[in-house]
Amino acid sequence: MGTPAITIENLTKEFTNPSIFNRGKVTAVDSLSLTVEAGHVYGLLGPNGSGKSTTMKIVLGLVVPTSGRTCIFGRDSRDVESREAVGFLPENPYFYKFLTGSETLDFYGKLCGLGGKMLRDRSRELLALVGLESAADRRVGGYSKGMLQRIGLAQALVQDPRLLVLDEPTAGVDPAGSHDIRDLILRLKQRGITVLLCSHLLSQVQEICDRIGIMNHGKLVREGPLDDLISIENQTELTLENVSPALLAELRERAEAGGARVLGAHKPQQNLERYFLDVTAGKK
Amino acid sequence: MKGRVLGILVLLAWGVAKFSFESRLEQRMENTRLGGFKPTVSLRQQAGQAGFIAALGGLRAAVADLLWIRAHTAWHDVQYGRMKLLFDTCTAMQPRRILFWDLSAWHMAWNGAAHIENHEPDPVVRKAKMREFFMVGKDFLQRGIESNPDSWELYERLGTLYKDKLKDFERASKAYDEASNRPGHLEYTRRFAAYALAEVPGREREAYERLMTLFNESEHEWLLTLFRHIQNLEAKLAIPDEQRIWRTVVKFAGTPGKAGSAYAALTDLIKTGSREPAVIEAARALEQKMDIPAERRVKLPAQDKRPTD
Amino acid sequence: MTTESSGPAVAAHASAHKLFSLRRTWAIAANTFRDLVRQKVFYFMLVFGLFLIGTSLLTASISFQGQLQTVMDVCLGAMSVFTMLLAVLATAMLLPKDMEDRTLYTILAKPVSRFEYLVGKLAGVTMILLVATLLMTAAFLVVLYFWQGREIENLQLTEMPERAAAAIAKVKSGTFTSTLFGGIGVIFFRSIVCAGLTLMISCFSTSWLFTVIISLMVIFAGYLVPMARSVWQGPLGTAEVPTHTAILLRLITVFVPDMQLFNVVDDIAVGINVDADVFVRIAGLGAGYLLVYLFVGWLFFAWREL
Repeated sequence: MGTPAITIENLTKEFTNPSIFNRGKVTAVDSLSLTVEAGHVYGLLGPNGSGKSTTMKIVLGLVVPTSGRTCIFGRDSRDVESREAVGFLPENPYFYKFLTGSETLDFYGKLCGLGGKMLRDRSRELLALVGLESAADRRVGGYSKGMLQRIGLAQALVQDPRLLVLDEPTAGVDPAGSHDIRDLILRLKQRGITVLLCSHLLSQVQEICDRIGIMNHGKLVREGPLDDLISIENQTELTLENVSPALLAELRERAEAGGARVLGAHKPQQNLERYFLDVTAGKK
Repeated sequence: MKGRVLGILVLLAWGVAKFSFESRLEQRMENTRLGGFKPTVSLRQQAGQAGFIAALGGLRAAVADLLWIRAHTAWHDVQYGRMKLLFDTCTAMQPRRILFWDLSAWHMAWNGAAHIENHEPDPVVRKAKMREFFMVGKDFLQRGIESNPDSWELYERLGTLYKDKLKDFERASKAYDEASNRPGHLEYTRRFAAYALAEVPGREREAYERLMTLFNESEHEWLLTLFRHIQNLEAKLAIPDEQRIWRTVVKFAGTPGKAGSAYAALTDLIKTGSREPAVIEAARALEQKMDIPAERRVKLPAQDKRPTD
Repeated sequence: MTTESSGPAVAAHASAHKLFSLRRTWAIAANTFRDLVRQKVFYFMLVFGLFLIGTSLLTASISFQGQLQTVMDVCLGAMSVFTMLLAVLATAMLLPKDMEDRTLYTILAKPVSRFEYLVGKLAGVTMILLVATLLMTAAFLVVLYFWQGREIENLQLTEMPERAAAAIAKVKSGTFTSTLFGGIGVIFFRSIVCAGLTLMISCFSTSWLFTVIISLMVIFAGYLVPMARSVWQGPLGTAEVPTHTAILLRLITVFVPDMQLFNVVDDIAVGINVDADVFVRIAGLGAGYLLVYLFVGWLFFAWREL
């Protein structure tokens, strides 16, 4: 196994209460240890205020930890060069609204040391990837929320990073856009890019993550491969097509004879998202 | 927290380090006569809160101009007291601006005094009040000179004030001398210094010598006033006949190509009292030679009205 | 502690990463410049232009001696106030806006050090100030040229010939002097020092308004430094100053820049020649302030939680 994409060792972060009258300390992250292996899509879940955003900021070097340390591909997060391998999309990103889409990518590309034809090609490629070619020369100030999210994703990918950190990447995006982003993440995963995803949309996390961690009050309360965590070991689901009531009764009898218990039989329902996407598919 | 503490320490260290550099630079600029302005409490009162703040924030010159315009309005309204206050503020704000000092003095000693002269009925009060205005004008010039020791203009104005208003010819001459020692001065300041000296009792010999130096320097100095003063002094000091200037001028009249300026000098001599037959003769000869029409020829007074003093 | 603290272990990794990259800094500077331009900061030039025209009209309506001088005083004063305000207002919003919009996160999540970020921002504002100063100077010179012509006409009409010739020569040689341009240079320098100061303050302040107010207060106090210093040095009757006032004045002298030293235009407008070495010293002092402010700003910013 290679170097982990993210290593978090015994991380603690305390904030001083900004109020002058009550200068207590607030512990945002409490002795957190966690590893994200390269190539995985890791979902970090937790209610608001559970410390997941702070953890992410420490990993990106935006916040200095009180104790413990975090590494990206073995480099300490406090070193600037550790960020050469990371692309970050913050929650509800907002860019310089007077820049156009392609100027935005150009700017972030230059920050990563890119330039010239290479950057122009890369920028065009990314605009195509996130579906913003037609909006490339429009100012970002006029972008919709979904477009901002997509230009944000393109910006995160500009230097072709090995790790992508996404904070609520689909917040405020319509289902079609959200679906596109999900597909994009899966494609990136296929290319071997590691993704750290923070989200409230549990169904989405469930669809794309290999592994999840659940945080609460600054501590990691559950962690492991997604399938292991949510499958119910002693139950099995069977889905049949064109089954007659007689056959169903027979199956039920057989099962009970064999010592199993049938808990229920019902028609499976289409996922609302899938249904919505099917209905609106042709309208674009 | 750590960053803030460190930052404040660095600022402190820089503050201590810059201190001596800044005070030396201030001194250096003072020496170049930059920054002669000093914010003072009395200036704050004069300029008003807003004006003072603006003056400190880089609009000092502009505020001074504004107040100067107000002073001008006060002049139209014949408010000499208000003018004096405004002039004080303007000059305090822009002590390097010579025009402010010069015109402040002129408004006080000339216009202000003239106003009193025309409006004050009581002769004793009139005299006292006029003198007061002269002194205010003089004070502006002296303060202006303190701030601008290189200004020939202020010394020239001071000389004129002593001469025309205070009738103190000795000081006037000294002020003109100072003016003529300063860069950029105009030539007449030297003459004026000598003319004023000529009026000082007991210093006639010195004045005569200085005027003669001017006279001998070049014929460009041969002006009516110069001739008048020299001829007066020749009489007063009983200068021997053969050293008198008319001889030089008559000799000059014979120089070829100088007929124009020689004739001008001869007529000036006659106008300022010379009745020497040689002078008149030379003048007449040139009139003939230059074909000057009768009505433009120099006229001799019917009676010799040569000054007796 | 942050970016610059690369030990030997990190240095081995950092083969490709430079501690300070001009390319990255330039990207931030150019972006700051472009952003400010597109925010139409140069519209204030319109106000300056109107101001120049207004001043000219006002001056023309008051027939008084020294119109050229008045135009010069007012224009130079306006230039120094405009550049100072532009420096403070434009700089004060840079950091808070990036933080509020979270663009700061995306920038610092790239391999950009906070020092590079600050230098880039300051360089961007400096470019704006340079362009603004050049534009204002151009407008000012046009106005000055016009008034020089008028002044000469006036002198020919009102003065005795001997005096007029001297005065005209003085106007001709004394209007577009190297000292005047040096003075405009000092105005520009002062505006960068103001920008540096504002940037430093915004590195620890939490709001745009706070930054503007504190910066303007410090700059204003800067004009009182000579007074404060004279108390410290003691020759001007300091016996009456109470202890707490003396301490306050000393604090001002140490922590506040002496803005009066950068305020040479009021004198230059009167036609006083300034030696080149004074300009060099002022520029040196300005550069010193800039470096210190940048460094202290970085100290504040490097430890700041985002």
